[in-house]
Amino acid sequence: MFKIKQALFLIFGITSFIIFYIGFLNYLKTQDSNMGLLILLFSVIVSVGTLLATFHVSKNLTKPIETLVQRMQDFSQTNIVTPNPCDDGGIQELHILHKNFEEMANKVGETLKKEKQLNIKLKEIDTRKTEFMSMISHELKTPIMPIMGYIQLLKKEELMGELNEKQMNALNEIAISTERLQKIIQDILTAQKIDLGKLSSEKENVQSRVLVENAYRAFYPYCKNKDVQLTMLLDTNDNVYSDPDRVSQVFSNLISNALAFLPEKNGTIKIGTLNNSDENVTFYVQDNGIGISDDQQKNIFKKFYQVDTSSKRKKEGSGLGLSICEGIIKNLGGRMWVKSTLNQGTTFFFDLPKAQVPVDHLDSLDKPSHSNHLAS
Amino acid sequence: MSKTLSKTKNQKSRLNILIIDDNEQITKLISSFLDMSNHDCTVVNDGKEGLELIKTNQFDSIILDLAMPEFDGYEIIDAIQKEDPLQMHKIIILTASSISIDIIQKFKNLGVSACLQKPIDIDQLLSSITDIAT
Repeated sequence: MFKIKQALFLIFGITSFIIFYIGFLNYLKTQDSNMGLLILLFSVIVSVGTLLATFHVSKNLTKPIETLVQRMQDFSQTNIVTPNPCDDGGIQELHILHKNFEEMANKVGETLKKEKQLNIKLKEIDTRKTEFMSMISHELKTPIMPIMGYIQLLKKEELMGELNEKQMNALNEIAISTERLQKIIQDILTAQKIDLGKLSSEKENVQSRVLVENAYRAFYPYCKNKDVQLTMLLDTNDNVYSDPDRVSQVFSNLISNALAFLPEKNGTIKIGTLNNSDENVTFYVQDNGIGISDDQQKNIFKKFYQVDTSSKRKKEGSGLGLSICEGIIKNLGGRMWVKSTLNQGTTFFFDLPKAQVPVDHLDSLDKPSHSNHLAS
Repeated sequence: MSKTLSKTKNQKSRLNILIIDDNEQITKLISSFLDMSNHDCTVVNDGKEGLELIKTNQFDSIILDLAMPEFDGYEIIDAIQKEDPLQMHKIIILTASSISIDIIQKFKNLGVSACLQKPIDIDQLLSSITDIAT
């Protein structure tokens, strides 16, 4: 790297020196002293002239380039076009260069300004949307509570009298739909909390086995009823530092999801832990369902994303389940990912940080047994 | 001032319960359930009125909704803590799920008897009420 100024002075400095040197040699050789002096004088004038010209050109040429560099730096930092502090030395190309830069920078500046305003507007709309959603879901939640209460009340024979079979069936149907509605509203509220970074969690040291067992126990009766084989496989029982309620929410979402996409016969779901690293315990929910294509895998953790969005779709749900799971796991300091092959099955994994305190300190009574396979 | 009728296993003592919630449907649900379970209910849909009743009457337990317009559950708890902290153990708070664990813990530290999350389980509510009486 060299500067134009240096290059100019180097080239023209040597040139003027050579001119002077040739003149000087000629002066020494020439017999006619008058002629020799004339040549010497001429060479001195030419070389001094060259140096002056170089000085002038370098000033006119490099100054505008240097100021352009400075203006560009200023613009990239502040997005404001600073005025040209010097004239452009009368060199047309440099004049155009400065002018073009100004035009371009002004345009870029304007676009950035517009984009900023647009961004502010979008953020405002997004906040208003979130507030609206929050308001709506709270409004929806309020009437659900008496509905659920009266369903519970109606089932109390000793207080409300006995219902006949048809009435009981009708009541049960009402109860199922109400619970579904309640779950959707709950999902929306949880998703909002994740969005706003307001999701609270109560972390404690807990055996990873306990977390898997809780999920297993919660779903075992349902799976047995539906002829689905639910299996528990524990590769490690290290303690994790996490919120059991939130983890069971994640397991519940993942297992419900798996159940929705299982084949009609011989559906199997495996849940368990893997011991992959010193820092984390990896949990997983594996199914032999219809699978998720590579394209769809990129989107499944997005809010409201449904693999099948057609109105004829068979599966129900708000499309919030997986995005909530990912949000919860991130909130607990872990990460979540998926592996899937179409028509073969899907496995959802999530990491949770291990507890810092050694296991023996926490429960000397109930020492975990490692690597046991608890099949259903 | 609980009117003890009898102490047999089947028939619990009749309790005097105050319900403070701005949602009329919820108060209707709770009061009709408690009515059927042979308890006496007083219902108010306004926080200020509720606080007045707490000051002037003796209830066996107080079911309190946190989120109310104008004078809310937090303010009532504040007032009870300042004026009559001995009443605190009678309070059963109904919370929305959006209440943080820290706040629930704070209420428990103040001596509140129970924090029930909405949608409430009416059996749980009843057992919380009888827990206070015993």
